[in-house]
Amino acid sequence: MNRESMFKILGCIGAIALAIAVPLLLSSIYWTSVLTMIVINSLMAASLRTILTIGEFSLGHVGFMCLGAYASALLTMKAGLPFGLTLPVAGLMSGLVAFVLGYPFMRVKGIYFAILTLVTSESFRLLAFNWRNLTGGIDGLIGFPGAGVLSIPGLGQVDFDGFTEYYYLALAVVSASLFILYRLEKSKLGFTWLAIRDADKMAGAVGVNVLRYKVIAFSIACFFAGIGGGLFAHFERALGPYPTASFGIITTLYLLTYMVVGGKGKFAGPIMGAIVLSLVYEFARPVEEYQPMIIGAIAIVMVMIIPEGLVSIPERIRKWRSGILD
Amino acid sequence: MGFLEIRKLTRFFGGLAAVMELDMDVGQGQIFGLIGPNGAGKSTVLNMIGGTLRANQGEIIFNGKEVTKLPSHMRAEQGIARVFQENLLFSSFTVLENVLVGYHLQSQIDLSSIFFKTRSKRIQEKALKRRVLDTLEFVGLAEYSNELAINLPHGIQRLLALAIALASQPQLLLLDEPVTGMTAEEVETMLIMIRTLREQRGITCIIVEHNLKAVMGLCDRIAVLHFGRKIAEGLPEEIVENPAVMEAYLGTEEDVT
Repeated sequence: MNRESMFKILGCIGAIALAIAVPLLLSSIYWTSVLTMIVINSLMAASLRTILTIGEFSLGHVGFMCLGAYASALLTMKAGLPFGLTLPVAGLMSGLVAFVLGYPFMRVKGIYFAILTLVTSESFRLLAFNWRNLTGGIDGLIGFPGAGVLSIPGLGQVDFDGFTEYYYLALAVVSASLFILYRLEKSKLGFTWLAIRDADKMAGAVGVNVLRYKVIAFSIACFFAGIGGGLFAHFERALGPYPTASFGIITTLYLLTYMVVGGKGKFAGPIMGAIVLSLVYEFARPVEEYQPMIIGAIAIVMVMIIPEGLVSIPERIRKWRSGILD
Repeated sequence: MGFLEIRKLTRFFGGLAAVMELDMDVGQGQIFGLIGPNGAGKSTVLNMIGGTLRANQGEIIFNGKEVTKLPSHMRAEQGIARVFQENLLFSSFTVLENVLVGYHLQSQIDLSSIFFKTRSKRIQEKALKRRVLDTLEFVGLAEYSNELAINLPHGIQRLLALAIALASQPQLLLLDEPVTGMTAEEVETMLIMIRTLREQRGITCIIVEHNLKAVMGLCDRIAVLHFGRKIAEGLPEEIVENPAVMEAYLGTEEDVT
């Protein structure tokens, strides 16, 4: 094992240990709920980056989160299914919808793909807005159960309705999801995605089914967006389809900002961006109307000063210390 | 039954007939040259054989199978590989990784290996890496294997593009201007390599090239395109003396002879 992978593993263990310890140290419901949102945002931003590995960017990631959120909420409420089942179903539903839409969508590239995802995301939101007898329409969806009691191997029956318990549940689900996303990216699948990003024509000429691999990347990314949505739904315990609320276009823009500020080149980038910017967002709550402006200003400054993102800072410091920085 | 048969192949761009009712037969093991003035439709023909462009009419029969409507990745499975005109490479990858992409069809995606790697999987990976290095050695790029593809000079990038195409184990290689922009020495290396491919592996080549000296010396047979139509076909010596070809290349007679 070389030094770099040692650092990576130590970094991961450190981050998880910190994530476990922080709510115990702060012991405030407010901060625990902020941390839960940060954890969910990390998964959303990291899965958005998965689409970037095939060289496309989606402006509709929040739409698939919306789909997962409503799916999980409605299944617990109307069908009485347990959260342990509705969460994976929420992911599968988003992934399946992305798979079906992926075939026509992935025939176009760049800005055209981005626009298609944008209108799709808005359509999902408007569907929730207009399908009153199912989604509650403009009144939103309230009164669905929380995570409830789940049996965890080794721990027995645990009630996840409390804020702290739910935080740990979200942390576990997101950590597992991030691990899967990371390993996928390092596998031959991820290697092929990057090859398509670099030169899709060439990849096709040596036998890569470009369309299929692109659709797989899109579906996996949207699967985890659905999981993020499910986690979000049972955390908030209320869903609303308003354009200015969680499932509006602004959330996708925030996710893109997390990714760029954190650094889109590395897997840890979007996660780091989600953590730092979500904290900035929270601290800016007293001046609520300026929140988007503050986040936007940070994004502009970051892109101009450190275009590779926050994640590149340690490397920059190392280079600067060894005097190579020009 | 021929190796590659092209019948009445036609492609329009808007109202313009880029290729018009082209008939062409390429035999197995042949090095076939496709020449003609700029805009004659040479690259369009290669694109249609390679599958990056769909033909409007006509058919392409490869090894007795019709491939006219297959997408390019399925033609790669049939054994058709392509070296593109521009230096199209996987630019963020190393030289070794570039060729590894070429081996896509020879290696499977195993979902269980996402979480752990079995011993046999590791052995497989090692064997694949060995084959990649062999391919790189063949084109003479083994020493560059850990360099980023984008940092290589033009001539070396062309060789790398050839190595990627070879990795897919083709029977038919489509070369779009393989020696354009190369130094005289690099041109010589490339020509020797194409001949070796034919002799050692029996690979058939179709070459589109502006460097007529190279084409004349290399090809067994040459077809000349002009405004999308084939105006001549034959041995290099016949082509040089063909008056219709002279006319198409008017003003560049010196190059031909």
